[in-house]
Amino acid sequence: MSQETIKLKIKRQDNPRSKSYWQEFEIPYQPLSNVISCLQDIQKSPVAANDLGVDPVIWDCSCLEEVCGSCTMLINGRVRQACTALVDQIEKPIVLEPMSKFPVIRDLMVDRNRMFRALKKVKAWVDIDGSQDLGEGPIMSDHIRATRYTLSECMTCGCCLEACPQYTKDNSFLGAAAFSQVRLFNLHPTGAMNADERLEEVMGKGGIADCGNAQACVEACPKNIPLTDSIADISRQTSLKLLKDLLLK
Amino acid sequence: MAKINQDQAHFYLLKINSLLGLVPIGVFLAFHLGINSLRTVGPLQYQWSIDLINNMPFLFGIEVVFIYLPLLLHSLMGFYIYFSGKRNVVHYGYPRNWLYTLQRITGVLIFGFLIYHLGTTVVPKLFYGKHQFLAAPFLMDVMNAEFQTWTGRIIYLIGISAATFHFANGLWGFCVSWGIIIGRNAQRNASVVFAMVGLVLTVLGFATVLEFSLDPVPVTPTVGG
Repeated sequence: MSQETIKLKIKRQDNPRSKSYWQEFEIPYQPLSNVISCLQDIQKSPVAANDLGVDPVIWDCSCLEEVCGSCTMLINGRVRQACTALVDQIEKPIVLEPMSKFPVIRDLMVDRNRMFRALKKVKAWVDIDGSQDLGEGPIMSDHIRATRYTLSECMTCGCCLEACPQYTKDNSFLGAAAFSQVRLFNLHPTGAMNADERLEEVMGKGGIADCGNAQACVEACPKNIPLTDSIADISRQTSLKLLKDLLLK
Repeated sequence: MAKINQDQAHFYLLKINSLLGLVPIGVFLAFHLGINSLRTVGPLQYQWSIDLINNMPFLFGIEVVFIYLPLLLHSLMGFYIYFSGKRNVVHYGYPRNWLYTLQRITGVLIFGFLIYHLGTTVVPKLFYGKHQFLAAPFLMDVMNAEFQTWTGRIIYLIGISAATFHFANGLWGFCVSWGIIIGRNAQRNASVVFAMVGLVLTVLGFATVLEFSLDPVPVTPTVGG
């Protein structure tokens, strides 16, 4: 027998400064639906379970195929993407909350700017040619290409940081995603020319040494990126730089 | 030498903190538990080891530089680390996250235990001036008395297990934080090896507690007294 309705319990917040509150919704069950389609159903008729017409629930989404990261939220207490959370596979009633490590804009929509600031800080890019053409870059081995491909799958969704006990709203920890990007660009033959600059950015407050090795990041990562390998690898690169700076400079 | 800014100081302190847990604190813990387990061989063997230590030149200086100051810095940094994170095993109960949480909890436990341990041994030893050959009978009397009650035994069993766990897990953390072990397999293999190290040290500690509890023998000073 199929379920007639789906119950959702959603943590809501009207604006970045207001207090959060819970609301329950009940929508018709549809086979093969996901959390996003549930939210769309609520949007069609935003009526809370206590029969009050309410403002529709706000959420963020874009690609709907788990490559953009924008629909990341807490579903039944755990962080994941709403688009790949299939209603048939998750516990009901479905409890939805915004991520707790980022400022809430409204309802389930959060501001992940801190992650993008971290990418800028660690210079997560390969510098392009300056005033003159520098020609072709060095050749990359296939082994490095394969490693880099896995790392490049990071979509800055924030799952690793939401699950990280060391990443809190009131500290400046850069977090696993940024460290993994340092590894990605230090592995690139041209990017490696700025390796030291990237390492310097993670050798301070909120940097790689703040990592407590709880390894929750790698468990939470929806793209199965070997984040803890990246953290240990950046730990090695920074340790070697530390020793070089102390002994050779 | 170039001036160190606040950012670099933060990084160096955390790196040094990780290293301190291994050298000298971890090495001291291993020696301490190892030498104490001589008590299971016999009271005299144990007494000789205490005599040897308490007749070392510059003993107090060595203790301060290689034990008390590193422990103080490690404790201060530990509390800073404790409050810099927010434990979340309730929602993300992965094994490593449990170890992360336990590492912090045992750190706090050990801090409390060390205040008790120093307060009942080193502080009265210095206060009553029990130096050189007088130290062993005094300290062994203290230990014999401690292990007469279950309260004393339990305090030590908890203190020893907390310390050996913190050291074994900290060895793993040191190896990852300094980038000595990187890959997932290497990390798993290392954790097995370090768990064995922790287990051996725990057995040494527990055997010593057992021996003291079963056979409280008072001794007289080896020389003089």
